[in-house]
Amino acid sequence: MSTLLDVRNLTTHFYTQDGIVRAVNGISFTVDKGETVALVGESGCGKTVTSLSILRLIAQPPGKILSGEILFDGTDLLKLPTEEMRKVRGARISMIFQEPMSSLNPVLTIGRQLSEPLEIHRHMEREQALKESANLLKSVGIPQAERRIKDYPHHFSGGMRQRVMIAMAISCQPQLVIADEPTTAVDVTIQSQLLELIRGITHDLGTSLILITHNLGVVARYAQRVYVMYAGVVAEHGPALEVYHHPFHPYTVGLLASVPRLDEPRKLRLAPIEGQPPDMICPPQGCPFQPRCQYAIPKCAADKPGLAEITPGHFAACWVASSGDMPWQKK
Amino acid sequence: MAEEVVIEVNNLTKYFPITSGLFLQRKVAEVRAVDGVTFAIHRGETLGLVGESGCGKTTVGKCILQLYRATSGEVMFHGKDLCQLSEKELRPLRRKLQVIFQDPYDSLNPRFTAADIIGEPLQINSDVRGRAFDARIGELLDIVGLAPYMADRYPHEFSGGQRQRLGVARALALQPDFIVCDEPLSALDVSIQAQIINLLDDLQEKFGIAYLFISHDLSVVRHISDRVGVMYLGKMMELADRDEIYKAPLHPYTQALLSAVPIPDPAIEAERAVIVLKGEVPSPINPPSGCVFHPRCPKAFEACPKVVPLLEDAGSGHQVACLLYKTSWP
Repeated sequence: MSTLLDVRNLTTHFYTQDGIVRAVNGISFTVDKGETVALVGESGCGKTVTSLSILRLIAQPPGKILSGEILFDGTDLLKLPTEEMRKVRGARISMIFQEPMSSLNPVLTIGRQLSEPLEIHRHMEREQALKESANLLKSVGIPQAERRIKDYPHHFSGGMRQRVMIAMAISCQPQLVIADEPTTAVDVTIQSQLLELIRGITHDLGTSLILITHNLGVVARYAQRVYVMYAGVVAEHGPALEVYHHPFHPYTVGLLASVPRLDEPRKLRLAPIEGQPPDMICPPQGCPFQPRCQYAIPKCAADKPGLAEITPGHFAACWVASSGDMPWQKK
Repeated sequence: MAEEVVIEVNNLTKYFPITSGLFLQRKVAEVRAVDGVTFAIHRGETLGLVGESGCGKTTVGKCILQLYRATSGEVMFHGKDLCQLSEKELRPLRRKLQVIFQDPYDSLNPRFTAADIIGEPLQINSDVRGRAFDARIGELLDIVGLAPYMADRYPHEFSGGQRQRLGVARALALQPDFIVCDEPLSALDVSIQAQIINLLDDLQEKFGIAYLFISHDLSVVRHISDRVGVMYLGKMMELADRDEIYKAPLHPYTQALLSAVPIPDPAIEAERAVIVLKGEVPSPINPPSGCVFHPRCPKAFEACPKVVPLLEDAGSGHQVACLLYKTSWP
């Protein structure tokens, strides 16, 4: 399969009154054509900043993309002039945001909002664009679409609004869709409806998908490859099955152990990761996870580990894992 | 279970009126937030209450605490029906009924120090003062895993997990018999959630507190609860022991809920069939006839839109409100 998106060494910082927030510190990842890749991590790990950086939607100031390359189908998005970048956003790369409540315009009808990208990117007339909007609404499972394009966002429920967002994201048949926590604001049964919808549509259109989430279960269900992020860097990445069954990074091990699972016998106690995620203004020396890591060795505090390929296609940034002797695998 | 009953909820109903008109507020409709819910919680036990947003689980919690006055029904606590008591009569009982809120960012006063926050219930409801007061604050901070020197800090100086620990300490201050935990984890990160779950577990073991644990996260509810109730549109659909309900869910809604929870293992997920429910939760202003779940139910049959199913025992204490399990028809 050929690579669609190749992010190399992306670094995005925010210059605030309190200091420099080092949100993303040299992240590299790739997405193949038609592939679903997940970025997982907890709040503040830089997953949303990464996705906003790809679309160059980082507010400047306070934010700044300091370095890196974002090769999309061969062209570096960071070098494109603003006008050219506009032609990419919404047309070739689109985004499904977390909060359907705040990402739709409350004073415009759904039809108007859906037809906007069609008029801009596909050069349709108003009439034709509205007709196409109704078709799009139908394709995401909203009944009485012709009537509903005249409604405003507040007429729709949370799940329905997210369907509208999905319709908007696929309206120009993009090559890549970035879904940033698409289901955190909705209930479980609606979550599975929406994710099945996204999976169906991206599969039918052959679209690549970057799924950004903190939910390990959602990743297991939908992603082919996983990048586990911590403190603005990739801690581990590989095929989903590998990462879940043979985690190489103690953070991944900790994350998997800290969530109760429905399929396993109930544990008497959960094993939380002790401590707090790091302050990104003054991140810890060496490995960013080392202050919370129960397997840390002296080297961890001194040197920052880089990603190393431990088994074919499966990478981790951990000194202990690179040594080949992983105490957590013996348990 | 031989333990004494702490809270008994009988046929609890809460309707919120919808009024219209500027001066003469006519009631035009009502939101049936909770519609005839019955359960009991024993000493040292956790009852998990699950359901999607708008199913009435939070309203149940607030009705028990008398933060909402129920439309009808009983909440029995220490032999008294709380719904019948006046505010003045409730006061001495309130100290035994506490709550931990969802959002540790909104539920702590930003102008209070940690000591003020934890100490407020003591100031109001006890005569602990002076040195004993300070000692009690220190003790409470210690119980929830915070250091006593943090007593003078303000909420913004704490992380999310630590703030939720403050919320727990405040609930514990008056040694309650019963705590409503209303989505206490949903604002926290995954790695921090487990810390708070373990804390709640330890406290229950130590003090024999009964919890009503309200959550939409079915995996967490399974971990923490002894019994689990599933609510939908203001009604209790199924109520059973934890192992029973997770191993052999009877109600089609419970079955769909459980199948919707993804399991963090790609190999298992690849094999699993997901029951995707059609449509969305209907409005509680105008709930469907018969069984409220019937428009979305994959197993609905002719009787479902006509007959209201009652919560009935389907064997060994496993209660379910579904016509599929109804044995005797009139």
